[in-house]
Amino acid sequence: MGRRFAISYGAALALLACVALPAGARTRPHYGGTLRIETLDDPWQMPDGLARRLVLDTLTTASDTGGALPALAARWESGNADHRWEFWIRPGVHFQDGEALTSDTVAAALSGVCARPAPGMGACPWRAVRGAGESVVFVSDSAVPDLPELLAQREFAIARQDGSGAVIGTGPFRVTGFANGVLRLAANDDCWAGRPFVDTVELRPRRTIRDQWLDWSVGKADLVEVPPELVRQAEQQHMNVLISGPVDLLAMTIDPQGAFASREMRQAASLAVDRTALYSVIFQKQGEVTGSLLPQELSGYAFLFPADQDLDRARALRGGTTVAMVMLGATDVSVADMSATGQLVAARLALNLHEAGFNVQTAPSGSRQTGAQTGPLELRRIHLEATGARAALDEVLARFGQNSTVTGTDAASLWQVERGVLENETIVPLLWLPRAWAAGERVRDLRLLPDGEPDLPDASLETGK
Amino acid sequence: VTLRQKMLLMLALTVIGVVAAVGWTGSVRVRHVFEGMDREQTDLLVSQFQREFNHRASETAEAMDRMAASDTLRGIAFQIGNGADAAAYLTVAVPLAQEYRLDYLELVTHDGSIISSLQWTARFGYKEPAIAAAGRPAFLKQEDLPDGTSQIGLFATRVVKGSDPPLYVVGGRQLDAGFLRDFPAPAGTQLLIYRNVSGPFDAHNFTGVTEGLEFAEHYQALVDEARTNATNAEGVVYPTSRKEESLSVTAIPLKAPDGNVLAVLVVANSRRSMVEVQRHIRDIAFGIAGLGIIFAVLASLWIAARISRPIEELARAAGQVAAGEWETRVDIRSLDEVGVLARSFNNMTRQLSEQRERLVQTERVAAWRELARRLAHELKNPLMPLQITVENMVRAKKLPKKQFDEVFKESAATLEEEIENLKTIVGRFSDFSKLPKPEAVEMDAREAVRRVLKLYGPSLEEKHIDLGTSISAEPLPIMGDSELLHRALSNLVLNAMDAMPEGGTLTVAAVRAKETARISVADTGAGLTPEECERLFTPYYTTKRHGTGLGLAIVQSVIADHHGTIGVENVEGGGARFVIGLPLMENGRG
Repeated sequence: MGRRFAISYGAALALLACVALPAGARTRPHYGGTLRIETLDDPWQMPDGLARRLVLDTLTTASDTGGALPALAARWESGNADHRWEFWIRPGVHFQDGEALTSDTVAAALSGVCARPAPGMGACPWRAVRGAGESVVFVSDSAVPDLPELLAQREFAIARQDGSGAVIGTGPFRVTGFANGVLRLAANDDCWAGRPFVDTVELRPRRTIRDQWLDWSVGKADLVEVPPELVRQAEQQHMNVLISGPVDLLAMTIDPQGAFASREMRQAASLAVDRTALYSVIFQKQGEVTGSLLPQELSGYAFLFPADQDLDRARALRGGTTVAMVMLGATDVSVADMSATGQLVAARLALNLHEAGFNVQTAPSGSRQTGAQTGPLELRRIHLEATGARAALDEVLARFGQNSTVTGTDAASLWQVERGVLENETIVPLLWLPRAWAAGERVRDLRLLPDGEPDLPDASLETGK
Repeated sequence: VTLRQKMLLMLALTVIGVVAAVGWTGSVRVRHVFEGMDREQTDLLVSQFQREFNHRASETAEAMDRMAASDTLRGIAFQIGNGADAAAYLTVAVPLAQEYRLDYLELVTHDGSIISSLQWTARFGYKEPAIAAAGRPAFLKQEDLPDGTSQIGLFATRVVKGSDPPLYVVGGRQLDAGFLRDFPAPAGTQLLIYRNVSGPFDAHNFTGVTEGLEFAEHYQALVDEARTNATNAEGVVYPTSRKEESLSVTAIPLKAPDGNVLAVLVVANSRRSMVEVQRHIRDIAFGIAGLGIIFAVLASLWIAARISRPIEELARAAGQVAAGEWETRVDIRSLDEVGVLARSFNNMTRQLSEQRERLVQTERVAAWRELARRLAHELKNPLMPLQITVENMVRAKKLPKKQFDEVFKESAATLEEEIENLKTIVGRFSDFSKLPKPEAVEMDAREAVRRVLKLYGPSLEEKHIDLGTSISAEPLPIMGDSELLHRALSNLVLNAMDAMPEGGTLTVAAVRAKETARISVADTGAGLTPEECERLFTPYYTTKRHGTGLGLAIVQSVIADHHGTIGVENVEGGGARFVIGLPLMENGRG
């Protein structure tokens, strides 16, 4: 009995040792290996294409709790009641081609962004930017108290082009080539923030979600996208899904002209919308229903904005007015194969509006980058990068082309500003949606940044190959 | 128009008429036969399509039955029945529809709320009333689509087997071009579906294979009839002026279970082959008819010539007979009626010739008799005094010389007188026989009249005869012998004077009557009897006690020599009128 027990105990210890050893090995990240990522969109797409994130850096980065953290700017100071900001460039930072990062380079890059703003991008919050020795000085006509947070947005990434026109930055990866539909990026050993763990990233863009998932299932991809409406399905398929907080605002904009010139008509359209059906069915209960421009967890007051459908009131507001057929276009909603979903959302909104007496037809989805303009009603997706409530509201308002300025910092002030904007009924917030990724088994230590994008420099591969 | 032309025309028209009548009758008959065949073919097609349509409906119902019994749907029904979130099945209709080849599919909860809709995904949560038709055969349904249009489809509603609460599936197949393309339509047959029947006709509402759509607008009347009356409408449509492009069209209303017309199925069958066969037959008929007509005309020519030639010869011979050629004869070429006619004609001319000869001889005898009678009468009057005078002279021989001398002297005088009288009589006969031919010169007929009136004017006054004249103011130029005309007119005036021994009125006129100079001499005497009027111009006929009967004969002879005419008529109220017509010169030429 004692002998048998001793043998059994020894075998159990050996088994535990076999199991425990690999578990212990997983705690230490390995350097090396090729991370294979597949995406639906263009990796260089403004402002948040994945390649731009890997190659370029911003002056600051958003912290998880709001506020800005130093990045290419080591520190900063404001003056003249936030009308003047000075950012000191981090010393010793070099572009991937070896050229040193200077304040003039930064000023030139930011001036270029403002001179050629991307579609959907708001106006730059400064009037002038210039290099001054080791610092970059921003001057604005109005106070910009949250400029450090705004400079964390990807559209203000610092980039320059070499002689061949290739984009060069200071980020953790550098472009090494593009062949057979695969963009290859190698680890930047001299990155100021430290070398990433993986040696190479192979980025295969413009892959449909179906193909991405197929490649993921057979081990040909390590990281693929998961649209919010497919999160539940992905989980049912036991995919390792990483879900961000609410970072994408789905909203319907109403052009206050023509059929919707009166506020009553816009309000009627707003009240006709059934957000719950969008949330429950189309997006499979991912994200949150909202009537606010900011997520509840960010502002704390989002629940104050009504988000319920009220068809009777919508019909009453519309009265006997006959509205000629208007188009509802879905633009800029194409994130992670969401064009079809965008169309579905638009069709559902058209049905809701039809119930309230509006004659609405959906238009094919498009992108503001391609100049698509479909009608007085537009379904838009706004990606939020800022992590602070005030900066986030500024960012959202800028995306929607609103000129309102957030002056106060407390929630009441923000609520006042947002209410002023929403009362005009030109923006109808619908849902805040998360972003999600599915990582393969060999990916380790991958987390999502506050804006829902994967933090690739800190990720590693299990095999190290 | 000659007899031959008439016969030719009649025969040709008869043949053409017969050919045309036969052709028209044949054409109508052929058209009716072909139209009957066309109708039968169209009816066959329509019934074939309806069978195929029913077959498709059965297929749809069977597909829905299979789907309702499938493990997939039973699993979904089980999950939902056990509280699973129906939202998870938002897009399940897509793979199910692909698997069962459906164009429309909706999963509907027991309360009628749509869980998943293939055709309009965004309609989840909305009600679908078609669940009321669960278990029934396939039916037609109009399905609204997100783009604002609506389509017609063959639908069936089924309850998922074993579901509790019931889970419904409402699915179907679209009636579109693809649906029609699979129909076993023969070449030349077009199938179209007219949708959106509620509004006014619009050719854009047609769905069908491409080649049929260009004529779609011509189907309006039939489509309107079908959708208004909800019954089949048939007719022939002519999209262009070309008959071979015509179509036999049947519009079949496609109805929902409640009887409302949802769409109209148009079966258009090309009539090209039928029209071409008809045209071919017609061309052959026209060719044969044309040849027949040409042959008929030629035959008519030959027949008309054959029939009319003897008649023409008869007509020509009759004309010759009329012209005085009494010996004319025609050839007898046949034994038919025309031959009999020719023989009769020859007999007639022969008899006429013989009778004329006899008449001439008779008239000649009669003339000689009349002449002998007249001569005897004329000579008898002077001979009796001569005989008495001679007998007196013989008896006076016995008288004394003195008395004898007186008697002789008286007798000699009487003899001379009577002998002179005989000479006169003989002279008149001699004059009649010696009447000269007129020496015609251009003259004015009025002058001849005036000359006679001037000569006999004083005599008229002595006999208490009034003179009335009516002489044209315009010249009456004629070609004539003034002396002979004077003699003739004098004769007429003297006769008139003799007719009015107690006086009266002599009326003389000379006027233009068409192309003749009309000269009339009228008296107010006793007039003439009809017999006298008839025989007055016969030589030696007279109504006078001492007339020779040659006066008016001479007048007639003179007028005839001037190519004129003379006649006599009684004047109303008494008297007779002699009327002479002499041809006027035309442009100075007689």
